[in-house]
Order: sequence, then C-alpha cells, then structure tokens
Amino acid sequence: MSVTPSRVPVTVLTGFLGSGKTTLLNRILSEKHGKRIAVIENEFGEVGVDSELVIGAEEELFETNNGCICCTVRGDLIRILGQLMKRRDRFDYILIETTGMADPGPVAQTFFLDDELKNQFQLDAIVTMVDAKHFEQHVDELNEPAEQVAFADLVLLNKTDLVDDAALARIESRIRGINGTARIHRTRNADVPIDKVLNVGAFDLNRALVVDEAFLEPEYPFEWGGVYQLAAGDHLLKTAGEHDHHSHDHEHHDHDHDHGHDGGGHEGHSHEDLDLVVLPVASASAAALSDAIEPAVRAFAEPATVVPCHGALDEMPAHYAIDVSHPGADFRLKITRPGAYALFCEHHPAEFGLHLHGAKPAAERKFASHHHQDDISSIGISDPRPLDPAKLNQWLDYLLKTRGQDIFRMKGVLNVKGEDRRQVFHGVHMMFDAQAERPWGQAPRVNRLVFIGRGLDRAELEAGFESAVAKS
Amino acid sequence: MAGKQSLSFALEPRGTLSFDDYLADCAWSPDGRQLAVAGGEGNIGLASVSDTLALRNIGTHLLGTLAVAWQPRAQCFATSGQDGAIALWDAAAGTQLKRWKPAVAATQALAWSPDGQLLATAAGKVVSLWSASGDKVHAFAPAASTAVALAFDRPGSDIGVALNGEIAVHRVEKSRYETRRYKWPGACLTVNFSGNGRFLASGMADGSLHFWNRSTGKDSQMRGYDGKVQLVGWSDNSRYLASSAGNEVVLWDFSGRGPEGTKPIVLSGHTDRVDSFHWQPGGEHLVTGGRDWRLSLWRPAKAGQPVDVQMVDAEISAVRWSPDGKRVAVGEKQGRLTVFDLVAR
Repeated sequence: MSVTPSRVPVTVLTGFLGSGKTTLLNRILSEKHGKRIAVIENEFGEVGVDSELVIGAEEELFETNNGCICCTVRGDLIRILGQLMKRRDRFDYILIETTGMADPGPVAQTFFLDDELKNQFQLDAIVTMVDAKHFEQHVDELNEPAEQVAFADLVLLNKTDLVDDAALARIESRIRGINGTARIHRTRNADVPIDKVLNVGAFDLNRALVVDEAFLEPEYPFEWGGVYQLAAGDHLLKTAGEHDHHSHDHEHHDHDHDHGHDGGGHEGHSHEDLDLVVLPVASASAAALSDAIEPAVRAFAEPATVVPCHGALDEMPAHYAIDVSHPGADFRLKITRPGAYALFCEHHPAEFGLHLHGAKPAAERKFASHHHQDDISSIGISDPRPLDPAKLNQWLDYLLKTRGQDIFRMKGVLNVKGEDRRQVFHGVHMMFDAQAERPWGQAPRVNRLVFIGRGLDRAELEAGFESAVAKS
Repeated sequence: MAGKQSLSFALEPRGTLSFDDYLADCAWSPDGRQLAVAGGEGNIGLASVSDTLALRNIGTHLLGTLAVAWQPRAQCFATSGQDGAIALWDAAAGTQLKRWKPAVAATQALAWSPDGQLLATAAGKVVSLWSASGDKVHAFAPAASTAVALAFDRPGSDIGVALNGEIAVHRVEKSRYETRRYKWPGACLTVNFSGNGRFLASGMADGSLHFWNRSTGKDSQMRGYDGKVQLVGWSDNSRYLASSAGNEVVLWDFSGRGPEGTKPIVLSGHTDRVDSFHWQPGGEHLVTGGRDWRLSLWRPAKAGQPVDVQMVDAEISAVRWSPDGKRVAVGEKQGRLTVFDLVAR
C-alpha cells in the first residue's frame, strides 16, 4: 500500500563566469511560468557525497513572488535537497547551478550515487551556457569551458547578438567537435523558453535516445557538401567581408608547401586555408551528392593546390586549399563544360561566409565535424551485431577502471543477444544507469554508443566493442 | 485456558490530529501530556494529548524546521529552522520565549543535557552550548567538517558529535571541555551512546554501522546494509542496537560476548523504507514506521513477526514513545498525527 510518486526532475546548469546563467536564473525566479521551481546555487560545486560533508559559512534561502525558492548552498547539497522534499506538495523542478568554474560532474554523479537522492530525484539534463563572445578565447586558454560543453545535454549559446554569423558557425562547429550529441540553442540575453531547459528528459531512459544520425557516421575529411547547376565560364567564390586591396600584402604567395591536411590547427602557417574539392556529378540532386562522397574522399587524400586570393580553381576533380586569411577574399571557379558540380568543404562554409556568387546549391548536407582542436572529443559507434552480455560487462568494467576519469559522458542503446528489449544506458563519468527499454519489435537492431571524453582513442573503443560482440 | 500465557500487546489508536504541514518530527513533554510538532514547511505546533486531543500552530521557522527537542524536567522546548534561527517555546502558555540566530548556517541538530540545564546545538562546523534561557555558555572550536548529529550520554557528562571521519566526544562536566576522538574513515551520520555508557555507535554513509567500546577503545564494523545507515538506536537496557538503511531493521545483541561474529536479528515486514523507529523507554518494545504506511510493534525475543501492525493514512515520518512508555505518537508526511495507546490483549 505504498504510493510511489514520480521523481522530481533536476537540471544541472553550468557555464563559465559571465555566460549569462544569472540572467536565466533571474527569469526563472521572476517570470509567471506557473511552475514551482527550487533554484539551488551551489557554490564551489561541492556536494555531500559519501566521503565529504562540507559546509561553508553561509546558507541562504528565500522565496520569490512567483512561488519559487532560491537557495545558496556552499556545502551540503544532499542535505538541502532532502530538506526541500519535506513538504506536502513538491516542487515541479529543481535547478542546481554550479557556479563559475565548477565541474558539473560531481553534482550530477550524486544523483546516481546517493541512495536517498536516487529515490526522490531524477537527473533530467546537464545544461551548459556558453558566452559566444568569449568562448573561443576561453576554450583555448583553459580546460573548464571544453569540459562543461562535454558534459552537456543542451548547450545554450548565449550573447549571439555580440558576434557575427561566421563566428557562431565556428563556435557551433567547435562545440560539436567536443560534444557530438548535445543540442544547441542560440540565445541572446538567455531568452530561451523555460520549458526547453526544464524537463528535457536527457537522462530518462524511457524516452527514445536521440542521437544525431550524422554524428554516428564515419568521419569524413569535410564538413559540408553541396551540388550546383553551373553554366560555362568563371564563377566567383567569395568569403564574407569587405576586401581591402590596399592592405593586401602579397608575401604569402611564397608559400608553396604541401597541404596534406589531416586535421588539427594551422600551425606554422601565417595564413588560413580552407580545403575544398570540386568535382563534376551526374545531376544537381541529393542522390548525386551522395554518390560523390566516395570520390571526394579520394580527392581529399591527394595533395592540395594552394590558391591565393583572386586565384583560379580550374582543374577538376581537384583538391584545393584556398587562402581565406583576409575577409572578402575571392576566387574564380572556372567551368568549361556546363553541368552539375559538387563542392565539398573542409569546414562549413558558413564559418567563413563562403558562397558561390549568383548560385545556390540545389542540394546540400552536413557531415560530422572531425577537426578536434580540443583534446576532448566525441566518438560514436554504430554496429548492428548483437553483443554478448558477459563480455559487454567485462568491457564496460575494464573501461570504467582504466578510462573512467577521462570519459565525461557515455550513452547508448544496445542490441544484446538474448534480449528482446533495447538495452539503454546513460552515464556521467562512468556512473551509469542502465535499463531494458521497449522491445525492438520490427525495428532494425542496431547498437549505437557515444563516448565523450578527453584523449579518447577511437581504435581502442572500437576494439573494446569488438570484444563484446557475440560469437554466433 | 490452561497453562501460563505470556502477555501480548497491541497499539490502539486513541485519536488523530491534523497538522497543517509535513510532520517532520515531534517531541513529548516529560509528563506525557503535550507534544511539540515540527513541520517540514516550517510550522511549529503544540498538541495536548492528555484527556482531550487538540493541536494548534504556535509559530514558524521560515522554509522549514530542522529539529525539535523538549527540555527535560521543564515545560519548554527548543526548535531550529532553515531560517538560521533557534527558538525556545513556553509550552504552558504556547508562546515563544526567545529566538536568536547564532550563525549564518542553519542549526541542524539540537540536544538537551539530561538535567535540562544545557542546550547543545550544531550549526555547520560549530557546536555550541547554551543555558536554559538561551545565553551562550560555550562554543567549541569549529570542526573540520559539518556536525550532523548530537547526543549527550545518559549521565550528561559527555556530548558526542557526528562528523566526517570521526565522532568527537566533548566532556562537559564541570565545564571541562576535553575532547576524545573516535576515528573511522567515512561520514558518520548518527551518534548513539548506550545507556550503560559502555558503547558508542554510529551509522555511516558508506552503508555500515560502526561502534566503539568506550573503555577499551576497540571498534567494530558491521556491514551489509542496503545504503546509508541513518537510523540507529539503543534499547533502554543497552542490550540491543537497532539500525536501519532500508525496509528492514537490524538488531545487534550486545549481551554476553557481544555481537561480533553473530547473526543479527532482522525485523522484516515493511514493504518500503523504514523512516523512523523508537525504543520504548523502560521497556523492550520497538516501534517502526515506514513509507508503506505501516506502523509495526516488535519485541526482539519474538522477532519473526511484529507483535502488532497498524495502518495509517500516509507515509510515516516520525514515531515517538511517550516518556512513560505507554503511548506512541505517529506523524505522517501529509500532516496527520495519531496517538496510540499500548494495550495488553
């Protein structure tokens, strides 16, 4: 005769100093959204887990006009959460803000580790706020910004009004390079609708695991491809911005090194190149674009021809490295035979505002970012073969012991031999929750796993996965 | 009926009261005629439970009451709350005597000395002693971690403090504040002196129960609990140590050579977590209250089955015997308070 209420969802909000979290929290505490939310500002990100009960000097709690409460806890998060549950009508949501530089990992893990909390609370999502104006600078200087992105289920890319579209595209690409599964919302003044932030359900193993399909694809050397129908003649390929001919120094024309691009930064270059491949295709259609992928991969493997500003791209199929150091750079794409052509770019053209003047792609598609500028990256594995449960446990156990600290997030849907139901798991720093979800039924059985972490080795993870595959 | 019959007991509901809050805890007056009731949302109630049953709200602690303790030998009780305040209440008049904020951190635990002369409080890392009128007597040096529980020993000469990695025992007799530390790695959640003074026990966050022999200093660890051991209590005669981390209550028998190497008595019956239990003062019964809405009465000697089971209307948050061991107050999370009489059948 026991009534088991559903658990209260908890959102963990993290983000760098000045990213705009306070603005979001103030909205939650003042807007008439009709929800009862307890906001906990957990300074220093310390929690009362098993081995440490910490408390600071101050704990303040106040109730706001819209029925929410805000509490500053410099210390025992577990105690305050327990106390918040001693009410006859519960809160609809709990939002825990980990301040400043704090790593959201320990706070999130608490909800897997503490038996009392596990009973009453359900970790809903880790939301990371990113300051678009300072992200690129911060992520190069410090570890925390990339880590906070790595942990996220949802990234709020804030202050979008302070940077241009090219920068936003670059930042998004960088974020996806770190965390291939997080959803990204662009915001200004933290203006995201509150119900997009709360009740995301990222940890709800009963909700379908949403993983961007593109993310699980093999890694290509390009992030974007498009097909165009082009007439014969010269076509102008331009980047965004005003081009100032007078400041255009031509020293870089002396560069004649081999652009065998294999990812990474542009060390040693005093200018910036963008690799691209142009090749003729059967028609200006999505199907023709897909057919062109293989040949494009082969073309990218060939040495690139450097094309300076105002230079020409005139041999096809070919691999070029166009010099995009200066804004408003332009290049001439020379077409001798009218027809359909595919253009594949190393980076998404939006990052440079790159476009073919007077022509729009008839079809285009994005590919997963493969450029890992950061040592934190996402690795996805997609494979239909059923897994042996004992060997799977052995592999995950081994992974936990050897790489646990380096893996920030881990999610997956598994096809386990002998199991009719999808086996779903989801974790933070190797604390994970797994359960059997709905039956596969007629759906194709496929394993889909994602690992987000530091210094991860794809080959190592794939070998581990291979060891778990059931021998038929 | 032929032959001797052993007496059996049951709990008979005497009456219920409605408290306008989550009933977090309650404390009996020494004469058993009143109950102080502490609410999770912050209400403080005073109930009379002698001839008539009545309850009224007499005050609040903003956003939640954390502890309530009745002063021995007096008609006064103390409460502490999430607002950071400690309050003293006159139970005869039903009014507040004093309210003060000792520190910014909220006072999580309260304990009166057995003679009613000192009130010990734990706020953050600091344990303080106050006179019966709320004047500060002493503040101990801040501990290295949060003090989560307090208890005086039966004579009232020592006070034990549960901390991370140790139980600190401060001598308070004649104001000699020497400290002895009982160390064990792990977060100590409770501090429990046996009545005879021989043992000190603590429920640990790592799912074990730890206890020390106070004269030899020897310690022992009992493992196998389902989770954090947050409920611990000695029977009045110091024979049994009850402990719980889930649906079961585990009793260790300290008679003879002690519990090491023995199998404990396990009280099974609750179908959901036991959130409160209490040993009968001057007797051998244990009452347990669970999330399964079940109130159970047990005797260690007859541990296979509860002596009696009563169902209430919601999850039980607090069970407390009256000082004379004849009644049990049962508080529910939805605010009902039921007083049961112990009757022989």
